[in-house]
Amino acid sequence: MLSSKLLRFRDPQLAAIWEKVRHGERLSKDDGLALYATHDVIGLGRMANEVSRAKSGDSVYFVLNQKFEPTNICVLSCKFCDFAVKKGAPEAYEQSIEEMLSMLNPNIREVHITMGLHPDWEWQYYVDMVRRIKENFPLIDVKAFTAVEIDFFAKKFKKTHEEVLSELKAVGLKTMPGGGAEVFSERVRKLIFNQKIGAKTWFEVHRKAHRLGIQSNVTMLYGHVETIEERIEHMMKVRDVQDETGGFLTFIPLAFQPGDTGIKTRNNFTSAIDDLKTIAISRLMLDNVPHIKAYWVMLTAEVAAVALNFGADDMDGTVGYERIAHDAGATSPMQLQKEKIISIIHEAGKIPVERDVWYNPLHIYTAEGTTVVSKMPYLNSVPFYAEFEPSSGDVKVAPLVPHVFGEFAKEGKVDAGPMSLMDYAEQQDEFDMLDYGVAVNGKAYSVLLYSHYEWSKLSGKRIGITGETSTSVNLLRVLLEKKYGVKDVKFERLHLTSSQNDYTHFDAVLLIGDEALRRHKLGGLGTFLNVYDLAEEWHAWKKMPFVFAVWAVRKTVAGDHREAIVEALEHSLAFTKGKEVELGRDHAKRLGMTREELGTYISAFTYTLGSAEKEAIDTFLGEVYNIVTM
Amino acid sequence: MLSIIKEKVFANERLTREEGLWLLKNGSLLDLAEMAEHVRYRHNPQAKVTFVIDSNPNYTNVCNIDCIFCAFYRHEGDADAYTYTVDQMIERFKAAEKRGVRTVLLQGGVNPAIPLEYYTELVRRTRAEVPGIHPHFFSTSEIIGMCEVSGLSLPEVLAKLKEAGLNSIPGGGAEVLSDKVKKKISSKKGTSADWLNVMREAHKLGYKTTATMMYGHLETDEDVVEHFDVIRDLQDEYHGFTAFIPWSFKPGNTPLEKIIPSYASSTRYLEMIAFSRIYLDNFQHIQASWFSEGKKTGQMALHFGADDFGGTLEEENVHASANFVHTTTIKEMVDLIRDAGFTPAERTTLYDIVGEYAEGQYPDCVLDTARLDVHINADVIMPTIPAGMQN
Repeated sequence: MLSSKLLRFRDPQLAAIWEKVRHGERLSKDDGLALYATHDVIGLGRMANEVSRAKSGDSVYFVLNQKFEPTNICVLSCKFCDFAVKKGAPEAYEQSIEEMLSMLNPNIREVHITMGLHPDWEWQYYVDMVRRIKENFPLIDVKAFTAVEIDFFAKKFKKTHEEVLSELKAVGLKTMPGGGAEVFSERVRKLIFNQKIGAKTWFEVHRKAHRLGIQSNVTMLYGHVETIEERIEHMMKVRDVQDETGGFLTFIPLAFQPGDTGIKTRNNFTSAIDDLKTIAISRLMLDNVPHIKAYWVMLTAEVAAVALNFGADDMDGTVGYERIAHDAGATSPMQLQKEKIISIIHEAGKIPVERDVWYNPLHIYTAEGTTVVSKMPYLNSVPFYAEFEPSSGDVKVAPLVPHVFGEFAKEGKVDAGPMSLMDYAEQQDEFDMLDYGVAVNGKAYSVLLYSHYEWSKLSGKRIGITGETSTSVNLLRVLLEKKYGVKDVKFERLHLTSSQNDYTHFDAVLLIGDEALRRHKLGGLGTFLNVYDLAEEWHAWKKMPFVFAVWAVRKTVAGDHREAIVEALEHSLAFTKGKEVELGRDHAKRLGMTREELGTYISAFTYTLGSAEKEAIDTFLGEVYNIVTM
Repeated sequence: MLSIIKEKVFANERLTREEGLWLLKNGSLLDLAEMAEHVRYRHNPQAKVTFVIDSNPNYTNVCNIDCIFCAFYRHEGDADAYTYTVDQMIERFKAAEKRGVRTVLLQGGVNPAIPLEYYTELVRRTRAEVPGIHPHFFSTSEIIGMCEVSGLSLPEVLAKLKEAGLNSIPGGGAEVLSDKVKKKISSKKGTSADWLNVMREAHKLGYKTTATMMYGHLETDEDVVEHFDVIRDLQDEYHGFTAFIPWSFKPGNTPLEKIIPSYASSTRYLEMIAFSRIYLDNFQHIQASWFSEGKKTGQMALHFGADDFGGTLEEENVHASANFVHTTTIKEMVDLIRDAGFTPAERTTLYDIVGEYAEGQYPDCVLDTARLDVHINADVIMPTIPAGMQN
């Protein structure tokens, strides 16, 4: 179950659909059609907003990015495209890699590259393009090449899709954009883009990319000749593939603009209501896709702003097409664009979160007067948030892994939440501890050390450690040094995005949360022989519970906000008592857990901290300081 | 608090000032929308949206009020200052009438060189010579200006205009009806009480007027609620307001641009539309403005409490002076309403329905008339008082 909330609808048909949505049931094609047919646009938006909040809290993501289209010369001539030209045409252009490098703003985090299918360019040119960007700008991640381009490369250079993708990945390709999907309908393809790859090849390429650890987006171009039914079918096809691979990050509805394409639409733009409905329906149909993007460049800023309350949780980014470098010190268009995006997100009542290509938060921009509560995105935290509805509109929720919460808390940007014990210990002068937290008395199931070696033989070995929290890492150090007397272990921090990690490089790896549970379900981590549950190790040693996180509230948070937080937290915990399994069902399903496993897992946790837990905190922190000062 | 407010709204009860302020500060966009839709369909049960075929010309850009949010006004003697004669205006109205325009919303400048007779003459001749056009003339500031120029009292001026044939006046110039704000942005425009006073006297005489609000500059939520509160109170007295029309401040080319560099987002606009619908429980119509906020925002507003799409605005100069230009055609306007999910219905200034248009049907006039970009050219500029109009 997602929510106990009862919504009021003008359209009674929506009430039945909401029942399905709030119970976590998947919507059917007929449901999708009914949603498009409704006149109750606000009711539709409320449902989508609830779903979006359950996934992303109040966060709306954006990225500092630039878009490159290195050539408009294309061997295809698709009817709906007014970008591509033939070689020799007066508007034809080709950019050199040097030109691209000179145009890159070093402050961005993502470069988006798509282009025409050039008849003459060599394979090496594309490889060099990615490689040289990565070499010159290590902080900029490359999101490049649609499935159409990948398929073109494979055919032209006589390679398999896998070869093309792996060679690009090896030089720095991180994710793929979702373009070229148009509408997954043979009828539409024959009508307006018959030269393009169809749905089958498109999905084939993305499936292969996902398997290689290249996550991607998926678009839908709407508002031309497609039917509503075809839009719903498009979404359902995406949903099916996502069930298989889990590799799609974002669904992006693109509003068609007729421009000079010659395709006739009633007005020169889609209706704002069609735009909002499409965003909201995508959010409701695609229960397994993490993000829905309001791409303001095509949607217009006015609709994108409102879409943030209709299910969208991503605004794309600054999308700079900067052709000249800016004078140092001058306000760049990118800076202005960034400020505008932040203010649009604030006005929508949401929290702007600047992200990387995988949606890891880099910065959070808390509005004045707003209190931000961190949401731990793990299965064991469901009871805190299932019914967490603060009565003040200025208390917002942002999903952050514990380590990021700790960092943002230090910057003064996030003010409350279940704080990793080590972060709390570090910041206890600024925070008050509530009597709530995450503790176990025995196994934790989701704090696991996968190791080629037994404890005693880990000396001098390389251990990959989770980047998500420092508490588990310190627990590992305490166990190694104090329980097993093992020293000189080399710790290396893992990437926050699991698809970017190669665990075979390590002698052991420490994983926590959902990643630990997922790997465990997948039969552990390949060849690692030993799997140790750190909380169980601690319990066997100290005969004590272990506390991973404590709820903390910044001392300066206004009284009414603090009250609202405590009230919402206590309400959620009381409401979820005994219903944890039901509430965690969807989340567990994504991790491949059975109902029984979920029951065992969730019942291991205690959310109220009593004297035993507090004593355990002191004991653990004592051990940690002991190591530090030794 | 939210549940108490929702209960009251759904029980068709009036919100107090405190409840209104709480809602404006804390209510989410969709909470506001949900309540606004309830009130919208209580006042106007059908999924119908009205519009008017109109034009917003100006007879002068000479103005002595110097509002810091305005990019339109000029001073007497400025090279691009102009004042049209009554003849010139009548000619323009006739041309507009031929193109299908049914209402002219006419405003200045507050030009102290123009005598009262100019205004009464303009109304009288419009009624007599351009019968297809409804005169919706003169803002409160201009009417106060007429009192000053003529030495007559406000009821006397309003009576003279009425006698000449005027029966409705536009609600512009209210900005935010809070003297704290008015002092900062339009110190010479008079107080809130001045605007309300003209409206009250007009309503007493049987005039219909609109009420407006321009937000997004220096006002606080408290000021906004005060604005809503005073117009709701006045509406209780005579029910003279036909509609409420909010729009956001456009900073382009205005002195205020330095402090407020960009205009408020569509979210804020939709919140204002929805909030006005909820709070102004005695207003039948809330007008969405495709013109001042953008076509797509206009469409969205129709699902946030608005039931009217405003005018086609064949001509408009004030927003244009702030580099904020949207144009439409009558056909596009009808399609915008339809594509937002409503039946388009053409209305008069006084909100009587003239015609409803089913799919594929359009008003019987020049459909593709775009807004005329009126560039002020030398031969129509009248830098001095129109001949024959001196007292």
